[in-house]
Amino acid sequence: MSMNVGFIGLGIMGTPMSLNLVRGGYPLWVYDRRAEATAPLVAAGAQVCASPEEAARAADVTVIMVSDTNEVEQTIMGPNGVLAGAKAGAAVVAMSTISPEAARSLAARLREHEVGMLDAPVSGGEPEAASGTLTIMAGGLPEVFERVKPLFERLGTNIVHVGPNGSGQLAKACNQILLTMALEGVAEAFTFARKNGVDPHRVREALLGGFAGSKALEVQGKRMLDRDFQPGFKAHFHQKDLRIIMETAHEAGIALPGLALAAQHMNALIGSGDGELDSSALVNVIERLNEGTL
Amino acid sequence: MRDKIVTTVGFIGLGVMGKPMALNLIKGGYRLRVYGRRKETMAPLVEAGATACGSPEEAARGCDVVFTMVTNTQDVLEVVLGERGIVAGARRGAILVDMGTISPAATRTIAARLAAAGLEALDAPVSGGGIGAINGTLSIMVGGKPEIFERVKPLFSCMGKNIVHIGPNSAGQVAKACNQILMLMTLQGLAEAFTFARKTALDPQNLYESLAGGAAECRIREVLGKRMVERNYVPGIEARLHYKDIQIVLSEAHTLGMALPGTALVTQMFNALIGRGGGNEDSSQLVEVIEAISTPRPPNPA
Repeated sequence: MSMNVGFIGLGIMGTPMSLNLVRGGYPLWVYDRRAEATAPLVAAGAQVCASPEEAARAADVTVIMVSDTNEVEQTIMGPNGVLAGAKAGAAVVAMSTISPEAARSLAARLREHEVGMLDAPVSGGEPEAASGTLTIMAGGLPEVFERVKPLFERLGTNIVHVGPNGSGQLAKACNQILLTMALEGVAEAFTFARKNGVDPHRVREALLGGFAGSKALEVQGKRMLDRDFQPGFKAHFHQKDLRIIMETAHEAGIALPGLALAAQHMNALIGSGDGELDSSALVNVIERLNEGTL
Repeated sequence: MRDKIVTTVGFIGLGVMGKPMALNLIKGGYRLRVYGRRKETMAPLVEAGATACGSPEEAARGCDVVFTMVTNTQDVLEVVLGERGIVAGARRGAILVDMGTISPAATRTIAARLAAAGLEALDAPVSGGGIGAINGTLSIMVGGKPEIFERVKPLFSCMGKNIVHIGPNSAGQVAKACNQILMLMTLQGLAEAFTFARKTALDPQNLYESLAGGAAECRIREVLGKRMVERNYVPGIEARLHYKDIQIVLSEAHTLGMALPGTALVTQMFNALIGRGGGNEDSSQLVEVIEAISTPRPPNPA
């Protein structure tokens, strides 16, 4: 029943996720471009590999958690990539947020080599990655999903097989649409309260129990009030996700007017030098927009 | 006098815009070497006296100035820098003038590559559409060195009326992007105004006429407003091509980290327009999208 696991990409999310797999008893082969990133995994007992190919060669399932579509493509298709090492019958699980289109075409390429593929982006930040309480949205064949599911259970608590390849990414896009608008809503509500002389801390407390109560109000709302913008989810990553969604919407001929507006505020946040902050710093943009009205 | 400065001119890209622009250069007395990817596009130019060429490289050979008028950034890069591209054929000191609308970043890349090859570059996107191209009344927004602009100006005068040197390389594309922002928002304004009029049972034709000469008067009202009133969406400006120009603007805003909230919103209305199947029709059909937002859906068929 033991399953050998490859893990590529040991960043903010990848490190705690892979540590949870080691602790869950999975033999792990890890790779990261930055050699120093592998240290905590080595300490926990993982094998270090010199390339994605080498990690995939040892693995029944190879998990990829790198930063964007281009990097996922390189990790799989590039020289010394996962495709070169993966055995027939193995599975590749891309947990980064990438375009649905890229997820579908990578799955097709891997299928030619009898390698299964899931796109399984996550919701939740570093704390959820560390505590193994991520939400995981998977797209791919049901049998591949079932095979990988025990591994997902080490990483997250809410694990849903959404549909075929690409649909995990589509669900993630929906998640980002909701989250972005919720952020915008919380930022506007707090600014509205403050400008009207009402304490937004009290407003948050009151609203948390009501119909508009949400995780965004609870978590990101608290960050906004505390002015604590330690990421969390960095604004420039959030901006990257929004770009993917806006492109997907264009290709499908779908209007997302609210999201488009919020994405412009995100642009302004990045342009003002706050790209490394948590994206709840969006409240700064709404406040700047309303400067001088008090 | 003029012929001592510029004698031979290359022209690449003979579509809806390129063909009449090239014809106007011939009318202005210039000898033209032309290239179009679709061979048949060269025929009317040859008939007017131009030399047909087998590649951009061949068209550029011996030219003082080479114009490009192709659709997108990728095509321009290919025509200029690709195998059998202009750089391969042009002589040192020749001037490349790109009149298409492409990203300012790509324009800067091209200018740098050309400079390294001993060539000069201008970016000179236009506004005014097919009609402006035929009548030689285009607005031309030029980026590049002032002395290079001065040398090409007589040729620009054959194609356009309002010819402005905006600044260094890529400044023309930035001005075109600003033009695009204004055009887009005006279009949205018109679409909302006419929808408002129709909802309140005002005759849109009356509105159209009453706006003429007022503070909101503009060329977009005159031309695209008329199409909205008549619900006549024969292009004109095809929505899908228009979208390509908008995408350049939004992409630049993303890279710069700046907010263009209005442009972003109207772009979504364009998505809806294209999603309804209007991509090949005139952009003024935007009015139908705005109307649809506030039109009750017919009851579901049983």
